[in-house]
Order: sequence, then structure tokens, then C-alpha cells
Amino acid sequence: MSKPNVFQTILSVAACKAARGLMRLRGSGGTALPGKAAMVFARNILERTSDGMEIIVVTGTNGKTTTCRMLEHALTSSGKECLANKSGANLLSGVTAEITCNATWTGKPKTHYAVIECDEGALHQVVPLIHPKVIVVTNLFRDQLDRYGEITHTRDAIRKGIKLVPDAKIVLNADDSLVASLAEDIPNAVIWYGCNVPLGEQKDAEISDAKYCLHCGTAYTYRWHTYAHLGAFECPKCGYRRQDPDAAVTKVTKSGADGTGFVLGLLDKKTGELKEHDVFVGLPAPYNMYNALAAITGGLCFGLSLSEIVPSLADVHSSFGRMETFDLGGKRVQMILVKNPTGCNQAMGYVKSIDEDFNLVFALNDRTADGHDISWIWDADHEMIADDPHVKQIYVTGDRAEDMQLRLKYADFDTKKITLVKDQTELLSKIKESTLPVFMLPNYTSMLSLRKLLSDATGGEDFWKG
Amino acid sequence: MELKVCHLYPEVLNLYGDRGNIRCLTKRLAWRGIDCRVDTMKIGEKRNLADYDLFFIGGGQDFEQEVLLADLKSGKDKEITAAIEDGKTFLCICGGYQMMGHYYETYEGVKCEFLGAVDFYTVGGKERMIDNYAFTCTDSAGGSTVVGYENHSGQTFLGSGVEPLGKVLRGCGNNGKDGTEGCHYKNVFGSYSHGPVLPKNPAFADFLLTTALKRKYGSADLAPLSDDFENTAHESVLKKVLSDQVR
Repeated sequence: MSKPNVFQTILSVAACKAARGLMRLRGSGGTALPGKAAMVFARNILERTSDGMEIIVVTGTNGKTTTCRMLEHALTSSGKECLANKSGANLLSGVTAEITCNATWTGKPKTHYAVIECDEGALHQVVPLIHPKVIVVTNLFRDQLDRYGEITHTRDAIRKGIKLVPDAKIVLNADDSLVASLAEDIPNAVIWYGCNVPLGEQKDAEISDAKYCLHCGTAYTYRWHTYAHLGAFECPKCGYRRQDPDAAVTKVTKSGADGTGFVLGLLDKKTGELKEHDVFVGLPAPYNMYNALAAITGGLCFGLSLSEIVPSLADVHSSFGRMETFDLGGKRVQMILVKNPTGCNQAMGYVKSIDEDFNLVFALNDRTADGHDISWIWDADHEMIADDPHVKQIYVTGDRAEDMQLRLKYADFDTKKITLVKDQTELLSKIKESTLPVFMLPNYTSMLSLRKLLSDATGGEDFWKG
Repeated sequence: MELKVCHLYPEVLNLYGDRGNIRCLTKRLAWRGIDCRVDTMKIGEKRNLADYDLFFIGGGQDFEQEVLLADLKSGKDKEITAAIEDGKTFLCICGGYQMMGHYYETYEGVKCEFLGAVDFYTVGGKERMIDNYAFTCTDSAGGSTVVGYENHSGQTFLGSGVEPLGKVLRGCGNNGKDGTEGCHYKNVFGSYSHGPVLPKNPAFADFLLTTALKRKYGSADLAPLSDDFENTAHESVLKKVLSDQVR
């Protein structure tokens, strides 16, 4: 496909800006339509409007948004203005909209740097147009299998994208056997990150996503586990195993509700030793340590220095429904996005660690952005908080609230504590009735609507303005 | 009374929340004061299948199924076939359902031999059949309406002597062509329904339990349960499937 000519470019940019302007006038934060409008006039307008930019792309099942937010924060706090598709507009149309709306009328980018979150399935459409310098892959968990059929299909879709940009450096999670297999059969330079110490109490038997060797089907053995199927995996038969990382967590120094501290070891290629640095991230939980590690490694490959990245991580807080906290008339409402069993278990693990009484909200939609199949709620271990005495009231809401409610019954929750509230305005007034803090565990589109409701109630900003 | 349940290959055939079926069976027995023991049979493990009353096998990812087929051919295939002929109750979902048939031929024409315990075969289609769907069980399979989520590209065609589990109300079912869904042979119930299928189809769940208990004790009268949340979930999905909201 050739690049669009000047005439097509001007029409395309104008269509994109006009569509976005009109949508915002109507109070909508939609991000796909402006991109589609732009693509009507020049299908590959993105190649023109991103020409000359330095771009880092983040893909993978979980942690994309948080990792991007960390990278964006590192860039801006070191004085480098950057563009980011921060509202989860991570398909081709969304990325096209973000970048094209930021271009001049003749299609020249106004910003030099960009941090782009990209959907796994859209990577092969997006990256050949934006020619990223670095692609970071976070992890591969089961998520929206109705879109991709199987998790290896997701892996193959990512590989297809990577192969289209052989000059891009690829930053991979060494602890994820599925992600690590991306390194095979690609011409790109690969940089590894991983955790050199065990985290938590994960056992071999509890792994469900990638228990068997991708190459020969033998069950992996693990020298240590971190969480879910991540860890120091090794196939006893064919020898497929975890790579030693170039950037590693060598020690966890602090794990609290206000953040996580760890020692970062960076491989010195001359001596073969790890040079250590202290890092503090203003977010709790092991998966955010991985997000920070991915951001550091990706940032270094992108050309940032350690001193530009690490200090900024301390004041990275919630991002858009991921551990975001609202103050609802003095009551704390914390929202944790959950969209697959692994993320859900981690969120519930965090909730379980809270040492005070609280109310819980589970919100479940089944729209296209969520995946139409909600059966994953039965793969998450809601049982772990069923008998937590701190859980006082439970509200279920969303398109599939009835399924959620049923899941909780079979997880042995006290059904008398459960209330089904389809109407979210009514939900808000129920939350307000109690003085207890609230934890909300919504999936993607239910998070968007709950977040809007809370933002309106607390005077917050619409997400596309944030 | 006690039912002994064997969960076949839970470590491989564990997609789409199918383990919720085991949870459902055990809870519905426990609420009625009936004991239930669940054992798993994983790859490489040996169990005396004659000890069990009810078997569950779920769906899995293709790349892991080869490991499983090798394990089946180590003699377990004959044991499973014997248990089926002996009238034991089987619930087989998606990949586990396909595995009971003669073979699976991929869209590219690669043929994979399966158990052949039930007379049907499956061929890979070009399009995946994915969505919420609903079917009505035949009278011999209890006659209840079942809602679930199908996600398969294989098209299954039943042979003679095998009844379908039901008739499709909305969706594709076995192959998207003949309006049948699942299979029913002796006490084997095969279905494409994930969801998981049992929690929000309590009548079907109880039919399976009754079948297994009758086989073991000659008769079974299951005390009614409140089923409020179950019916609410069932109705909401049925309404969704039958309305225009179906995508």
C-alpha cells in the first residue's frame, strides 16, 4: 500500500478531527469512529501521521495500560512530550484516531514520542504503519478466547505483527513460557525481563493456562513460581526453558497497599553480572512489579536512562480503573478492573488482605470489548473471599449480573448478603447508604460506565480529558 | 447415599469455566445431604473407572489434546468404553464431547482418531460457531431447556443409534445445519455448551444426578431446591438468546 497523497491526507485528517469534535460536542468519548472516518479517505493514513515519530508499543493480555502509563509518565517527567492512547483505544481505528488527531492538517506529527497500547490481535495491522522502535510484550493469559479461539492463536497473532517490523527491539517476559516462545522464529533483537525470586505460594498443580511444554507436551517443572503460570519454567524432556533475563527483580524489599519496592538487577554484558538498583513503584501487588519491570526494560531499550525512569515510578498511581480510588463523600471507593481469571484472582487476593469491613461490587458485562463469553468467572477463585468476615454487603450489576450472582452462590457466599442491582444509579445510592468503604471489581465496559457514574458523582473529569 | 464423580483430565480439558460443572454437581448433592466424592484422573494417572458413578470431561486447547490422546490409547480408551456400555453417566463438553466420537477431521483434512465410544464424527469447519445459544433436550434426556455458550469450529454429525441431546432453539448446535445439539447414547450426554452448562440449567443438572443415582440405587428422588439464582440466570440468558440481542 502506498502512502496517501497530500489531497487524501488533508481530507483524512480533517475527517478525523471533525468526527472527534462532533462526538465530544455530544459528550461522547468514543475513539473508534474518528479513526474509521480518517481511514475512509486514506486507509493507511496512520503511516503518514506517525512518520518520523519514535514509538514504543505495549501489547499482551494483562498490564498493558499500566505499563503504558508508567512509560508515558517517565517520558513526560523527563521533559519529553509524548502522545499516548490512554483511553484503551487500542485497535487500529483507535490508534489511527489518537495519532491522526494529533497531526497537522497536512499530516505531520506534532509530537515526537508516542507510547501506544496495542491489542494483541491488532498488532499486525498497527505496527507496520507506525514502525515502532520497541515492542513490549507483558504476558499471555486466557482472555477473550471467543475472539482468538485459543491462547496460542493470540501468541501467533503477536508473532505475525513482530515479524512485520524486523528492526523493532522486542522486550519479552522471560517468566511466561508462552511469551518467551515468541523469540523463536523472529529476526528481531530480543531483550528479556523477569523475576529471579519466587513470589507468593503458587504450586505447580495450580497452573492452568500453560501447564505443558509448547514444543513436546511434557509438563513443565519450575525452579520457582511468581504468579499464575509465570516463573522459572523448564521442560524436563526437550529442554525448553526460561531465559536468564537482562533486567531482573532480584529481591522484593517492600509490598504494601501504597506500593512495592524491589531491587532491580541489570545485566552487565562485559562481566555477566547483575548491577543492582533500588526501585519503588507507587502501586501494590506483584503484577504491578512486573508492569514496572516491563516499563523499565522497555524504556531503556527506547533510549531513556535509568534515572529518567526509576524516580518517576514512585509517583505512578492508579490508571483508569486499575486500582483507581474515588472519594465519594468521604467514603473510599476503589475500582479494580478484572477481565480474566488471573487478574480477578489477584484483585480478590488484594481485597482479602484488607483489614477492615467493606462492601463489594461485582460488575459483569458481555459486550464486544469485554468478550461475549463470560464463562471465565467460573475459572476465577471467588471461593477465596466467600468467608471473609470483612465482606458485609455484595452488589452485583451489569448485563450479566445474574450469572455473577449465581457464581457467588456456588462459591459459598452468604446469599443473604447479595443484592442484584441492574440500574447503576440505584447502585450508587445503595453504596452511599453505607459508611463502609467499597471495592468494585468490574470488567471493561462495566468499568467505563461505573467510572463515569463515580466521576460525575465526585466531580471528576471524563476519561478522554484526563 | 453417595455419588462418586471422576473428573477426567481436568488439567488439560479446562477451558471456559467447565470446572463449574463439578462445583455444581457437588453443591446440589450436598444441599440435599447426599455425599459426593470427586477424584480427578490426570494424564499418566491410573484409576479404576468401574468405581465411579458419574464422569465429567471438558473442553481444551488443540495443542494440548495430542498429549491426551496418547494417554487415552494406553488402555484408558477401553476402560471408558466399558464404563459407557455399563450405563455409567457421562457429561462430555465440547472437546471432551468430540473425543467420544470416531474421529475429528480438520478443515485441512488431517484426520485424528478418537475413542469411537459413541457413533458420531466431527469435521472442522471454516467458521467458528460462537455465541450464546439455547436448545431443548429430548424427552429421553429430561426435556428441559438449556442455555449456554458454544465456541467450536468442529461440525458434529450423529450416526444411527445415537440420539441428539436436544433440538436447537437458537444458535448452531452440532453443525449449524441439521438443528441437532449434542448426543445422547445410553447415559452419555454430550454437548457443545460451555457456560458452564450445569449451574444455570438446574433441571438438566438434576436430570444427570437422577440418572446416576438411579443406575446406582435403582431409584432416586431428589428433594427440590430453591433455585432462585439459578432460574434468574437461566431466564436472563434465555431471554437474551431469544431476543434480538443475539449477535
